[in-house]
Amino acid sequence: MSERQVPYSAGTRPGPQDAVRGMTARRACLIWLALAGLALAGLLASLSLGSVAISWADLVHALFRPDGGLDDEIVRSLRLPRAGAGFACGALLSLSGALLQVLLRNPLADPYVLGVSGGAASFALAAMMFMLPWWGVDASAFAGALLAVLFVLGMARREFWRSDPVEASPRLLLTGVVLGTGWMALISLLLTLAPDRGLRGMLFWLSGDLNGAADAWPGLLVLGVVLVPSILAAPQLNVMLRGETVAHALGVPVGPLRLRIYLLASLATAAAVVTAGTIGFVGLVVPHMLRISFGNDQRMLLPASALGGGALVMLADLAARTVVAPAQLPVGVITAITGVPVFLWMLLRRRH
Amino acid sequence: MSPRRATLPAESLAQGARLAARDLTLTVGRRTLIAGLQLEFSPGQIWCIAGPNGAGKTTLISTLAGLQPPTQGVVELDGLCLSGWPGSALALRRALMPQAVRDAFSASVFEAVLLGRHPYLAGWGWEQPSDRAAALDALAALGLSELAARDILSLSGGERQRVALAAVLCQQAPLMLLDEPLAHLDLHHQIDCLKLLVQRAAAGCTVIFSCHDLNLARRYASHALLLDGAGVTNAGLVREVLSAANASRAFGYPLMLIESAGHEALVPAH
Repeated sequence: MSERQVPYSAGTRPGPQDAVRGMTARRACLIWLALAGLALAGLLASLSLGSVAISWADLVHALFRPDGGLDDEIVRSLRLPRAGAGFACGALLSLSGALLQVLLRNPLADPYVLGVSGGAASFALAAMMFMLPWWGVDASAFAGALLAVLFVLGMARREFWRSDPVEASPRLLLTGVVLGTGWMALISLLLTLAPDRGLRGMLFWLSGDLNGAADAWPGLLVLGVVLVPSILAAPQLNVMLRGETVAHALGVPVGPLRLRIYLLASLATAAAVVTAGTIGFVGLVVPHMLRISFGNDQRMLLPASALGGGALVMLADLAARTVVAPAQLPVGVITAITGVPVFLWMLLRRRH
Repeated sequence: MSPRRATLPAESLAQGARLAARDLTLTVGRRTLIAGLQLEFSPGQIWCIAGPNGAGKTTLISTLAGLQPPTQGVVELDGLCLSGWPGSALALRRALMPQAVRDAFSASVFEAVLLGRHPYLAGWGWEQPSDRAAALDALAALGLSELAARDILSLSGGERQRVALAAVLCQQAPLMLLDEPLAHLDLHHQIDCLKLLVQRAAAGCTVIFSCHDLNLARRYASHALLLDGAGVTNAGLVREVLSAANASRAFGYPLMLIESAGHEALVPAH
């Protein structure tokens, strides 16, 4: 038995042993720990930096022994909810992107590809046009997301329930993309009709903005609700990546799994969009960055995407509110401006 | 190929898989591909499914694997109708190698083969050392050990085919269904692959594969099922079924059997 290892140690690639071992629970835990550390660092920086700098000692004081001072108020009711909402949005978008990339077996898929965000945005903009209060905009956005999901489910229902091993992904993708295009047209129409004074708020909403995020709990709650079933389905998703026929033959219930993944990804996207508008880029690129670095094992990738995406949006939002302070930038602009060159560098550096 | 690698743990094959088609009818649109097929596939047999393009080889294999329901009749595995098998239990008893796998994302060859262990995963769904050992054995059996760390997106068509075969082997199921396992392989890999199937059958597996090379089938398969695409099937011992007369009729082109030095070959008669 001992000579079994010999042929595999003589690889030419760096770290061939890793490739031969595949992903292990131990390696995945190390990756998660590193990303959680990054997220924690981002959280601490978000709490202490800003127009009023707060020292570490004051921060500890505000978090654990609040006495109602100004610092305590800034940390507890402004920065903590905003950082939490940022983390939740980034985690949800990135998780949703990773799920949809597997569902559609397409590296170009992102959380918005099946039109959920289009529905949410159309309804949110309409609510803003009618000057509804923030909760009205949120509720309207969620209703729009739900409607978009129902459209896709209605039109692509055969792709979800059919039992024969036919590639369903291209048809599902095409249905979603075409519906998404319809929503985009509606958004353009709304922007054209909107009164000038409302336009700025609408554009901020469209490019993603955490300014209005008052509470982190809804987002974090949905994150938990989406993450747990995703982690449980991860081994089956690994098999799905090799195609529906292979998955079916290995005992994976392809149709029900596809439906479950679609609903989980849609819920994640809807919750993120309702919280902070359509922050672009995160959901497409964070899963790919992690794939390039650590491989495509969904058992590692799904939790890692949540942690990495959360950390990225939290840090980007810190930049969005400090770089040109006291003015603020939409966080979606920061994620894209910094993320695009980093991602291109990672992609082009790879040999294949 | 190392024969030592190809031996599977005895317990996984403790019971051979008995597959039976009972009054099986398959139609596509208004065309009847197979009508009222009665056939039993037993452990130790290697069945070659042959027939012209579009005759229903893939549809039949897919139906025998339980991936699609038959138009009429039933397929039974170990005496139980396939539709009554839970997917996870079925995956421990039968393996299927599809005709082509389209990959969109990078993965190492080792990871792709290791997916064949999915039916055995328990708990949080991480592989045990025994699963890794099975994948390494399957790679070695197909001469793929050197490629273990390669990206599957960088493989040639033939290498891909061998990776798919290794994944099926690694599943260690007593019933193996393979859709065109020899496609894209060069001759010596075709023969290696067929010898591997012969070994699996000798170890108690039931092997069913589709194939276009009638001569290789005659040489390595024990039985054959010839489809003509119009509902007529011919099943039995390979040399009797894949005769010059039967093959000429099914493929619609005259073939003759020539003999030389104890070997036989079907060749076009014109």
